[in-house]
Amino acid sequence: MVVEITGVISKFYNDYVQNTTKKLKLVDIYLCYILLTGIIQFVYCCLVGTFPFNSFLSGFISTVSCFVLGVCLRLQANPQNKAVFAGISPERGFADFIFAHVILHLVVMNFIG
Amino acid sequence: MWKYALIALLGIYSSNAVLQTDANTLVLLDNLAIRETHSIFFKSLQDRGFKLTYKLADDSSLLLSRYGEYLYKNVIIFAPSVEEFGGDISVERLAKFVDDGGNVLVAGSEKSGDALREFASECGFELDEENAAVIDHLNYDVSDAGEHTTILTSAKNLIQADTIVGKENSKADSAPLVYRGTGLIADKENPLVLKLLTAESSAYSYNPQSSVTDYPHAVGRGTLLIAALQARNNARVVFSGSLLFFSDESFTTAVQYAQSGVFHKLSGNRVVAESISQWVFGETGRLRVASVQHHKEGELLPPGEAYTITDPVIYTIAIEELVAGKWQAYKASDIQLEFVRIDPFVRTFLKQTKTGSYEARFEIPDVYGVYQFKVDYNRVGYTHLYSTTQVSVRPLEHTQYERFIPSAFPYYTSAFSMMIGVFIFSFVFLHFKDEPLGKPLREDKKSQ
Repeated sequence: MVVEITGVISKFYNDYVQNTTKKLKLVDIYLCYILLTGIIQFVYCCLVGTFPFNSFLSGFISTVSCFVLGVCLRLQANPQNKAVFAGISPERGFADFIFAHVILHLVVMNFIG
Repeated sequence: MWKYALIALLGIYSSNAVLQTDANTLVLLDNLAIRETHSIFFKSLQDRGFKLTYKLADDSSLLLSRYGEYLYKNVIIFAPSVEEFGGDISVERLAKFVDDGGNVLVAGSEKSGDALREFASECGFELDEENAAVIDHLNYDVSDAGEHTTILTSAKNLIQADTIVGKENSKADSAPLVYRGTGLIADKENPLVLKLLTAESSAYSYNPQSSVTDYPHAVGRGTLLIAALQARNNARVVFSGSLLFFSDESFTTAVQYAQSGVFHKLSGNRVVAESISQWVFGETGRLRVASVQHHKEGELLPPGEAYTITDPVIYTIAIEELVAGKWQAYKASDIQLEFVRIDPFVRTFLKQTKTGSYEARFEIPDVYGVYQFKVDYNRVGYTHLYSTTQVSVRPLEHTQYERFIPSAFPYYTSAFSMMIGVFIFSFVFLHFKDEPLGKPLREDKKSQ
């Protein structure tokens, strides 16, 4: 059983290392960093309490939104999905990503107090 | 010389205990002889400044109001036997008169007429059946003719309210009160009815001529002798089952318990009757709100639009009592203020300040909405004091919230790190050249 699972995991890892472009790996590192920040905040909130609730919400939601936007960018940058995003160039995808971020951070700064 | 003039002036001034606007009084009598037999009572009213107008109760020229304005503020009905009032006056008119704030003092007897019975039931009490009298075989006066209806009731049976019966009169060692008349029955459901005087526990109300076959309507301490009603508009009605209670005869008589022989030189009737008349005609026990102020601590005026939540607020109310015809600051320690939004959020005692007005300091609750400052002071013997002031309480403005809270620094850091992260990431992402991973890419490069 355990052997099977380790087998699956090592196969998955090898596959990932071999068949993923470096650009996507870069996006994955970025996503990991966001995920960690979000988890740290949530744990901190559980420990300290929800007092500046608006600050917690804006901080936490900003990480969640960044993660979602990052995943969206990764989907568009993945060459395997070229067929799905046929009419949209990678530059256009990146511009959308930046635009969404500008809006997001404006809102976050307004709400953080 | 001028000292005497001043003293004389003061004497005249203090004798006018009643306010000029409340002085006009209509006295309805069965016959003009009652004016003579009750002269001490009427004289004491006149000495206090009342303007008495004597009329027969069935006089066809009776007039209570003219051109929509009442001619009298008070009505005394010493006409037990009247079946129907004359002229403009009827039971409905009297009830309307009370609704409009007029005061009424009524005395009945064993043979009360229909008019008084109807008026009594309008006020929340009932006179016992015709010919029924209060009988007490243990506590009757030596002057009694044999039916034991001239009863004596101890002053401790008076209601515990100094403003109605006087401070000194209801003590246990005060002289007993002479009473001969019918018993009253109060409506138990009516919270506005006050039981001013009850009989001793050995009394009951029944026709003294017949043997007792049914259970009497009123028995023992439940036998009401004098009842009062203070309506919601603070109009006052006093109903006595005995006309004799207010007469010169009972004011001046010496009383002696026939059974125990305890003797008093003078009955307590006079002081109690005068005290009751002062209360019913609004000379005592009258309160009013002179002014209401409220503002934020450190300011002088109330805020233009609304208070903000958790503001410290100061509420000041000036309450005055009518003492000998003059409005004076009222003293009490049990007045409460409520800050109400449907339910009271704050309930606190008002403290008297040096100026005589009452003050409360409290913090507005952390809940916004429309509130009322409410003072609802209801004590036996005093007018019902009710004052509400409506204010709005708004939440903090966007700029009034606390900022740069230390415990929120991790959240600030995270938000900025997200910004810096996307900035750096976009540079790296744009300038990163993917190294070839498969054949198609290589061909692309060659073609370039």
